[in-house]
Amino acid sequence: MSTTVNVFHNTGERVVLPLDVNRGAMAMWMVIATEASLFITLFCAYFLEGNNKNRWLIDQPPKFTYALILLAILVGSSIVLHWGEKQLKLGRYGVARIALAVTVLMGLGFLTLQSFEYLSHWKSLAPYSDSYGAVFYTITTFHAAHVIVGLLILGYVLCLPRYAPACESPYRPYHVASLYWHFVDVVWLFIVVILYLIPNGVVYVH
Amino acid sequence: MTTATVEQRLTEIWETPKSVWGWFASVDHKEIGRRYLVTAFILLAIGGIEALIMRLQLARPDQALLPPEMYDQLFTMHGVTMIFWYASPILSGFSNYLIPLMIGARDMAYPRLNAFSYWSFLLSAILLYIGPCMGQAPHGGWFAYVPFTNIQYSPDRGMDFYALALIFLTISTTVGAINFITTILRLRAPGMSISKMPMLCYSTGTISAAILFALPALTVDCVFLELDRHWGTHLFKVIGGGNVLMWQQLFWFFGHPWVYVIFIPAMGILSMIIPVFSRRPLVGYPYVAISTVLTGVVGFSVWLHHMFAVGMSDMSMSIFSAGSMLVSIFTIVQVFAWVATIWKGRLVMTTAMYFALGSIACLVIGGLSGVYTAIIPVDWQVHDTYFVVAHIHYVLIGANVFPVFAGFYYWLPKITGRMMDERIGKWSFWIMFLGFNVGFFPMHLLGLGGMPRRVYTYSAALGLGATNTLVTVGAFVLGVGILVSIVNLFVSLQHGRVAGKNPWNADTLEWDTESPPAPYGSVHIPTVVSRNPLWDDHDEEHDPDGSRIFDNGRQTPSTTWLDATPYAISQMPMESIAPLLLAIALFIFFGAMVFEMLWLALAGLILTFAASCFWLWPRPEEQPV
Repeated sequence: MSTTVNVFHNTGERVVLPLDVNRGAMAMWMVIATEASLFITLFCAYFLEGNNKNRWLIDQPPKFTYALILLAILVGSSIVLHWGEKQLKLGRYGVARIALAVTVLMGLGFLTLQSFEYLSHWKSLAPYSDSYGAVFYTITTFHAAHVIVGLLILGYVLCLPRYAPACESPYRPYHVASLYWHFVDVVWLFIVVILYLIPNGVVYVH
Repeated sequence: MTTATVEQRLTEIWETPKSVWGWFASVDHKEIGRRYLVTAFILLAIGGIEALIMRLQLARPDQALLPPEMYDQLFTMHGVTMIFWYASPILSGFSNYLIPLMIGARDMAYPRLNAFSYWSFLLSAILLYIGPCMGQAPHGGWFAYVPFTNIQYSPDRGMDFYALALIFLTISTTVGAINFITTILRLRAPGMSISKMPMLCYSTGTISAAILFALPALTVDCVFLELDRHWGTHLFKVIGGGNVLMWQQLFWFFGHPWVYVIFIPAMGILSMIIPVFSRRPLVGYPYVAISTVLTGVVGFSVWLHHMFAVGMSDMSMSIFSAGSMLVSIFTIVQVFAWVATIWKGRLVMTTAMYFALGSIACLVIGGLSGVYTAIIPVDWQVHDTYFVVAHIHYVLIGANVFPVFAGFYYWLPKITGRMMDERIGKWSFWIMFLGFNVGFFPMHLLGLGGMPRRVYTYSAALGLGATNTLVTVGAFVLGVGILVSIVNLFVSLQHGRVAGKNPWNADTLEWDTESPPAPYGSVHIPTVVSRNPLWDDHDEEHDPDGSRIFDNGRQTPSTTWLDATPYAISQMPMESIAPLLLAIALFIFFGAMVFEMLWLALAGLILTFAASCFWLWPRPEEQPV
């Protein structure tokens, strides 16, 4: 992307202008801002429903083993992806693609394991059993939907060709997609803390 | 290279092909802005007709023109259409058309996203109006409180149309907001630092940021409603531990910032027009700018004032009462700035200025009744009465419809190339202003007299028949006034005086382009040294060596956020049919969800993914040379 595309004459001074490569990332940051508000709203809904705790069917907090394993998978995938991005900047396209593929596999692993987690919860708690079930499954399913979208984006970037000599690598899409993926991971961290760890901690303190 | 060839080259680069494909694939912000204006105006007309039918029903006591259920559907469709599908999109139309020209950019930052924003707005409006065509319109008022909107009380699909069309619209609005923020922050002409931006950029930027943080609450709320209605959850149902008030909390957390979304850009329009026709720069520019932004921020801390009657702790009510009064300070700063501008300036009484002044008058009345309702005991007294109806209409017509008409009379010469007829325009203003005040001021009295809103009729014994007749007459006069302006538009399109570049001798950059503007805007990207570029001695387009033409493809300079120093070139995309395809795919998804056709919904999602892939696939011809 080092090719000069224009020379700009500004108040008697000639400036060489490179191509603007950050417009897409800026849009992604704003998508992340609005998506973050979406999850904050969902957490607020969780606390609002918590006002009626005494009507919930089960007073046990959810088991958090699965959630922590899932967190480890996602954090691991983010680290792999970030490493891949660094390789891409250095021009090692093949390695970067492998890192991307590993990330996608880890994401698929996340979804598989989460469905097992759902199965283990389902016996005692369903979305339609009470408001806790509703809000628990809504939040985690919203997150799972974001994981799926993230995987689709990553898979798409994986398939992108190396086009045109001027933009020799799909670096920009890689960067933008990884921003989204890191965001999805951070959301899971908050879900683990708010939905799993804090209720368990409260029980432990009592 | 002579000038003629430069213009031809730029036209070749930027012009949308004149074909059917070109029409559907256009990404030109001017084309999209025009479509936004026309579509939103048609929706204004539809919403207005709905209101007039309601006023016929209420003209006399104990009338049976409309059955109660149909009345419910009408007031819901009126509110939903006006607040969601007219008030904000029409302002998006102005901003879309004008902001790139105002800041000297060649297009919006994401032109294809802009097209998608329009198509999804249009299709969501169509989705919403499928409901009434099937006789199943939403009937829960524009804020659709549960439990009334839950499945046992609203068994038909009306509320599903409401919820899903709204989610669809939030997608459109959110991507539009992202587009505006990037455009305003990155594509300003060199030298147009943040302290020299036109006021419309401040207001549109503020509300775009507010949209990013407020709209998800509505999305979540509508998703919850659908889950409760069709998927058996207990989010809003007390029986399973749900929280009925959660709907209101989430709705108003979105809803009050939304009030500012449909109001702040209209203030921005006034802040653009009033200085031009006062023949001097805006008084207190920094204070107006800061209070615009602060209105957007403080707008997030007032939502509970819609819920004073639900029973809350005194503490939270006091905080939100104080917040509601605080926010009026930021509005009044702007009003005083306008009054001072008028005071210090030399007035030119054009039709646009008539509408602007009328708007200030109505806005002050609506703002004052807003301060009344921010005071808790008064709110309890007038809650759910016509007093509140009068308040919102004074604010929304005073601070949205009148500024929009001012904007039409001010900017249509730029858009159509023809001047509007001033004499008919002033007639239209006086008819509208008279009709509006005759129609809506008595509503305050109706409310204090105890007339509840959203009830399809009232007893003659209340003694409100005469006042209601007056209100109905006023509403129809207002409608006639709007009709006069529409006639004026069509007459002027045929016979209007040719506008020329700058008929008003205005100060901002959009008036430096041809009327109507060429596909590329201005030949040379302008450089700016002051807040009133066309009023100073500096020649914006002065570019002896042609280094600010950028005729290597669709390019426009990117500048830094604060100082607007150019640092890069933005490569713009070509026409694309993908935005339309994506919007259609989403339309299939949301439409299928309304009818619970899950396989079709899944197909819609797959199409959405396919359309996105098609959209984003790199095209060599769009790469810089």
